[in-house]
Amino acid sequence: MQSQDKYRIALLSAYAIAIHSFENLLPTPIPWFRLGIANIITLATLVLYGFRSAMMVTLIRVILSSIFIGTFLGPGFIMSLFGGVSSTAAMGITFSLFPRLFGPVGLSLIGALFHNAAQLFIAYLLFVQQIKAVLIVAPLLILLGTITGVVNGFIGNILIKNIEDK
Amino acid sequence: MRLSGIRRGKKKLTDGMTLADRLLLAALVIISVSGLIFIKEAFPQGTDVRIEVNGKLAYKLPLNNNAIIAVKGIDGDTVVEIKNRKVRITESPCPNKICIHNGWIDRGAIACLPNRVTVFVDSSEGKENKAIDAITG
Repeated sequence: MQSQDKYRIALLSAYAIAIHSFENLLPTPIPWFRLGIANIITLATLVLYGFRSAMMVTLIRVILSSIFIGTFLGPGFIMSLFGGVSSTAAMGITFSLFPRLFGPVGLSLIGALFHNAAQLFIAYLLFVQQIKAVLIVAPLLILLGTITGVVNGFIGNILIKNIEDK
Repeated sequence: MRLSGIRRGKKKLTDGMTLADRLLLAALVIISVSGLIFIKEAFPQGTDVRIEVNGKLAYKLPLNNNAIIAVKGIDGDTVVEIKNRKVRITESPCPNKICIHNGWIDRGAIACLPNRVTVFVDSSEGKENKAIDAITG
């Protein structure tokens, strides 16, 4: 890894941590509902600098933000970690298999979907253990994730275009 | 990433969307919205109404069947109405009518203490909640 890449990952991680921590302060109508705006950074990193950089930014973001917020190794951290890793992995695999098929919006939607799916799975395994409760929440979670995913995808698209133009 | 750049990008917001993006978006919306509707339909038998008089089980009815029943309490009949998966007490011989003012519930319980009638809404798992037909006395 070249020093320019390291510098880039550090800068992008710093942005992502700032957004993630800020987002955590925002009040939301539903307690577990998050906007996922930090995913914009992951998305832009993936499209511009590749899968490895995106995964690193995600891991740094989730671990460091949780230390700053104070949820490190707690249930929220586990959900956040698995959600972030599987969402980045899903976006990365899709992007490397079909680079031209999906744009940033589609990738963002895939990321949001896998983020939710992973969190539902972890919630089922660790906390709820009632498939019925998980199934009832799933459609609402996927719908909200789709809405935030589209918005994040548009913002990510603008960000990517602006960085590329430079 | 200057503001002017963002404004420039805003004019063609949907330009970055590929056909696959649009199809994926449509599919996700359709699946989740139909899921929201379907899930509610899938678990209607999960809850039923249990009416107790003086602490003893008097009636057990499914919440998804509309019904009006008069329950014999110690002071007279308390009328319980089940409609659209909600329960309320419409008439009661008690002095305060607190139970009537409680209105519709779809979970928890309404108690008419003077008449010793309590209406519970249970969520029972499994096949135990087969409807017992109510026979009003």
